[in-house]
Amino acid sequence: MTEQTKSPLHRWQGTESYLADDTLKAAVNVAVALQRPLLVKGEPGTGKTLLAHAIAEGLGMTLRTWHVKSTTRAQDGLYVYDAVARLHDSRFEDKDVRDISQYIKLGPLGEAFDDKTRSVLLIDEIDKADIEFPNDLLHELDAMRFRISETGRQVEATERPIVVITSNAEKELPDAFLRRCVFHYIDFPGEQLLGDICKVHHPEVDDKLLAAALRRFLRLRAVKDMRKRPSTSELIDWLAALRLAGIDPEKLEGLPFQGVLVKDESDAGRVHDDAQKETRRNRFKGWS
Amino acid sequence: MFLGFHSLLRQVGLKVGLTEWLALLKALDVDQVEPSLASFYNVARALVCRDEGDFDRFDLAFAAYFKEAELPDKLKKDLLEWLEGPIKRPALDPEEIARLKSMSLEELRKLFEERLREQTERHDGGDYWIGTGGRSPFGQGGAHPSGMRVGEGASGRGSAIAGARARRFRNYRADRVLDTRALAVAIRRLRRLERKSRRLELDIDETIRRTANNAGDLEVVERPERRNQARVILMMDTGGSMEPHTKLVESFFSALKKAGGLRDVENYFFHNCVYNVVYSDIARYDEVEFDKLVKSVPPNTHLFMVGDAWMGPYELFASHGSIEMATSDSVPGIERLERLAKAYEKRVWLNPIPDNYWHAETIAAVGEQFPMFPMTVDGIVSAVSWLLGKGDKRKYGPTPMWGSAVARSR
Repeated sequence: MTEQTKSPLHRWQGTESYLADDTLKAAVNVAVALQRPLLVKGEPGTGKTLLAHAIAEGLGMTLRTWHVKSTTRAQDGLYVYDAVARLHDSRFEDKDVRDISQYIKLGPLGEAFDDKTRSVLLIDEIDKADIEFPNDLLHELDAMRFRISETGRQVEATERPIVVITSNAEKELPDAFLRRCVFHYIDFPGEQLLGDICKVHHPEVDDKLLAAALRRFLRLRAVKDMRKRPSTSELIDWLAALRLAGIDPEKLEGLPFQGVLVKDESDAGRVHDDAQKETRRNRFKGWS
Repeated sequence: MFLGFHSLLRQVGLKVGLTEWLALLKALDVDQVEPSLASFYNVARALVCRDEGDFDRFDLAFAAYFKEAELPDKLKKDLLEWLEGPIKRPALDPEEIARLKSMSLEELRKLFEERLREQTERHDGGDYWIGTGGRSPFGQGGAHPSGMRVGEGASGRGSAIAGARARRFRNYRADRVLDTRALAVAIRRLRRLERKSRRLELDIDETIRRTANNAGDLEVVERPERRNQARVILMMDTGGSMEPHTKLVESFFSALKKAGGLRDVENYFFHNCVYNVVYSDIARYDEVEFDKLVKSVPPNTHLFMVGDAWMGPYELFASHGSIEMATSDSVPGIERLERLAKAYEKRVWLNPIPDNYWHAETIAAVGEQFPMFPMTVDGIVSAVSWLLGKGDKRKYGPTPMWGSAVARSR
């Protein structure tokens, strides 16, 4: 262990349950080494949020999560001053309200700065917030410190936290923000990696079932004009359902438990059409 | 310093600044890049690209720059020899071979990484390639999920360059594929948040101020919520010539509806050109009088015209020019468009036809009334920027030579 932490090549290699390809490993390690935030984009269900968990696990650090909503303000990540509680206490309670720091609560970013050890901070779905939100965070992410104006306290990070930011690409992120990040796009995994990922989650799965399920799944993803293509996590759920029900690998054509994979009703129609086309194609296969 | 690579990246349109380049050099400095082209590719891409739409251009620049500099010849020779039959090399004795054969992939990988670490420390960046010790058959059957095979096919086919050449990320270029979400992003920029709503929210700052002024006596202050006041009027051409562009227009239409938050999205349809009536439902011929459109336009209204502006000249310039039997308009179409242009200060015309065709007579005439943008993601983003007063409408258009020839002939 000591040899690893001393060597400059101390690398994150993924974990047992999170398989990473080389591009991802390179991006993570560069971000850690250069102390820049890592921005991860990709289709929903490709494991962006899980990545932060895997990084924390792989490097042995605590993970803090900040789930961003449409109403989130950058200030909330640093700290929140509960003025209303203070007002209420001053009026109705017997507490001494002169000590403002009682009413200051650090947000996830603030806590990460305050932490004496290096930790991982996940800012999940940053594109959900206001369009200016990433810019508001810029200064604090750069300087790794901020000031609580109510108490005058300066919170500074002794160990720069590893910041992992996920985005669904719903909004364009500002340029100034993007420049400071290391960028990675999680591609939808290829067939081989998909199989490996499934084996991690279902170690005892029957090989025939896995192969047949993968084939049917990839064909489903290839159906044209799908509104919402099924993702890796849905494949894993589907495998679980198939195994629980003991479905025969030969019988996957008709898509048992379709609702696990196909969530949109118009897509259900497209899948049905595609299945019909396939039966017609198979009928003519033996001919020529 | 790879400055040649840096300028090549900028030439293909990637906005690589000095900060990113210094970061890349620093990454090389702190040993974050393994001695392989693929590793350099991975690290450079993570630092230089900001969006998956940049990947394709990065691949182009990478393939172009490094095609000559694949591997130094000595290394190539060593590598080829080594790959040919590492197990047959005299340096390995039969026991070692047996031991290697009995190792699992995981163990081999660990062994390989140890070797790599040793070599990097001992030969600080010299001319030893990965696995020159010949101990593990890395590169043979080492399945790489990204499809990039390091070391295999040193002839150039399987290397990082071939991976880059394959241009796997073609679909992500922003100016090629019309993606609904990206459009919604552009349209959301039209937000004009103002406090004109009837719904009230708690004004904390003012409440605190008033309460403090009252020496602690609680006084609650409310104010109107901020609502988006931006309105959009969308007028779409459903004439025959627009058939091939149906999918495109539909994407845009759904993006507008989905963008959400816009106070109002009204849509109308017209056939080739705007005449005395437009249709709120063209299939059912639900008519809307033209005058209603131009009378008292509410503030913060943006007009999006979608159409190819491609029609017979008489349809645009002649009185009673409509080819529809049912429509009889004494006012020429071009005048209708002029009136529309005068009534809506914030207007754009989105044209699915590429801009090098915009010298055509009717398109040029329409383009004089409405700032015209192509109907691609970039085009729509530019259109929105222009609507917000931040863009340059002269970015698109046919070469001036054609445009002026048409103008002169009229």
